[in-house]
Amino acid sequence: MDYFVQILVSGFTFSAMYALAAVGLVLVWGAFNMLNMGHGIIMTLGAYFALMWAELFGFPLVLAAPFAMLCGGIIGAIVYFISAHWMIKQRDFETTIIIATFGLGMAMEAGLLKLLRELFHTSPYAQPLSMGADSFLVATVPVSYQRIIIWGSALFLILLLGLFLRGTKFGRAIRAVAQDRDAARLMGVQVRNVYITVLALASALAGVSGIMLSSFKEIHPLMGGALMLKAFIVIVLAGLGNLTGSLYAALLIGMVEATVKVLIADKYGFTAILILVILALIWKPAGIFGRSTVARQ
Amino acid sequence: MKYRDFIIFGVLIAIAIAYPWLNPPRYLLATALILYCYATVVSQWNLVFGLAGIFSLAQVAIFAFGAYSTALLGRYLEWNLWYAFPVAGVGGILLSILIGLACLRLRGIYVALLTLAVSQMLFVLIQTDSVCSPLNQVKDPRNCIAFTGGSQGLGEFGSFGWRAVLGGRDWMIGDYYSMLTLLVIGLIVTYLITKSRMGLAFRALRDNEELARSRGISQYKYQLLVFALSAFLTSVAGGFYAAHFGAVGINLFGFPLLLFLISMLVVGGIGRLWGPILGAALLMMADEVFKEVSDWRNIGLGVVVLLFMIFLPEGLAGGIEKVSKLVLRVYRGGRTA
Repeated sequence: MDYFVQILVSGFTFSAMYALAAVGLVLVWGAFNMLNMGHGIIMTLGAYFALMWAELFGFPLVLAAPFAMLCGGIIGAIVYFISAHWMIKQRDFETTIIIATFGLGMAMEAGLLKLLRELFHTSPYAQPLSMGADSFLVATVPVSYQRIIIWGSALFLILLLGLFLRGTKFGRAIRAVAQDRDAARLMGVQVRNVYITVLALASALAGVSGIMLSSFKEIHPLMGGALMLKAFIVIVLAGLGNLTGSLYAALLIGMVEATVKVLIADKYGFTAILILVILALIWKPAGIFGRSTVARQ
Repeated sequence: MKYRDFIIFGVLIAIAIAYPWLNPPRYLLATALILYCYATVVSQWNLVFGLAGIFSLAQVAIFAFGAYSTALLGRYLEWNLWYAFPVAGVGGILLSILIGLACLRLRGIYVALLTLAVSQMLFVLIQTDSVCSPLNQVKDPRNCIAFTGGSQGLGEFGSFGWRAVLGGRDWMIGDYYSMLTLLVIGLIVTYLITKSRMGLAFRALRDNEELARSRGISQYKYQLLVFALSAFLTSVAGGFYAAHFGAVGINLFGFPLLLFLISMLVVGGIGRLWGPILGAALLMMADEVFKEVSDWRNIGLGVVVLLFMIFLPEGLAGGIEKVSKLVLRVYRGGRTA
């Protein structure tokens, strides 16, 4: 029973982070087949923006997360203008953008490391948004309030995103571009604005995901990389471009990882989910929620 | 490969063979030797990515796998490393077949993500390996390390053995020629594969995929074959790297090395014959020149990769080809007019 509660508690926390990171990747992929390898460093930056807001400026904590989202969004738009904007007409855009954003992400990461080393210090910071270890008991397992906030805010943001995509005119434009780029353009959708918006949205959500990760570990310049890879695994498992599928996949992967971490050992979490995904792909090459139109060779 | 390319190839090899006789400083010899090692890896990567169209990010992981297998065989079984290299190579083939079976049926983008994940998995598994191994307990009971060395890395597994043959001063020359031989073998294999049925199959698939498939050319089969073949030399290059340095570390799986090697590929030109050598040579030189400002290394490499993908995705080799064609056309046009 204890194990069960423990698995549920950490599983939901992993799922919340993976879902927020993966939903953004899916949106961007759906809109213009771009995979942003700089997603990880944007998560890290989100955590640092929250830290900056609270420690450097001393502004109220409640607004730190919205501030981090805003900055993340701006960085997403900047990433669009220094990479994808110039490359979108290339023949192998899908491939070249991965290499380009890999370079960009590495440069940003190295730049952040250098900045911290010179201006501040390199030892990890504590996340000011963390509520520490305050907790209540569920059948002898302590559940921290921090986790409740993480689950709540992830649910809230995903519902908000869903409302935005379904209910607003701009959301409809995003869905239209994802379905058929050329048709959407002919119907008068400003396709480029959609590209910028989805990248900004994805980066804002990535920032929140980074804050969540740092709230029960600590803020470190290299922390986003592993989280980004797990988000990649989530969207691969779901089948690229499938939004609701990626939410289920995030839940599944979070739970599997938590199970392995609680029952076997912490270090085998990543191996376990990777093997699971590889087996799933051999069974269903288009992803478990993927449509069969994905090219099969 | 034209007549011209054979001449360039011959001249470069002659220069490389003659180089140690010019009595260069020791560190330059060492740099050249590492250049050959990286050039081998990148030329195999070029075969996988440029010719076969497999967007694999696991090449560096296969390289690291070869280095670690060689180190483990040398350390625990006390093998002569010259026996360990081919075994590491075969291990690399098996690893690549496993990866290939899992993802080569999928679209290119899945291959990139899964190969990246596999290399990260190996990184995590070795990094978190911290349980004292009984094999090391015997060697050094006071400072017992894990089987793979964990985050500390692994040493004491032997070397090429040139020190015994050539003496304490000239052993580096032995290492140099070993690495050069590997690179030449790698280039010859690349050439043979490009000229073989496999190369033809890939060209056919690129020119007209539907026709090629309807004639019974299986992309999957040929991709798996190229992936496995290139893994052998990549893995052996890892073994040579380990043998030269006498130590392997977790950084072999890390992103900075991946960035360094991918920038060689990108700067040289993906899918171009001379791309890997050009890229490897230029970046090793740049690395030497900018040693003073090594803080900026990854920033610079990242920006270079980004700029090349935006403005010159065909790399310098492709750019030179384009310019020379343009010059030729203007020149001929001028003559006939």
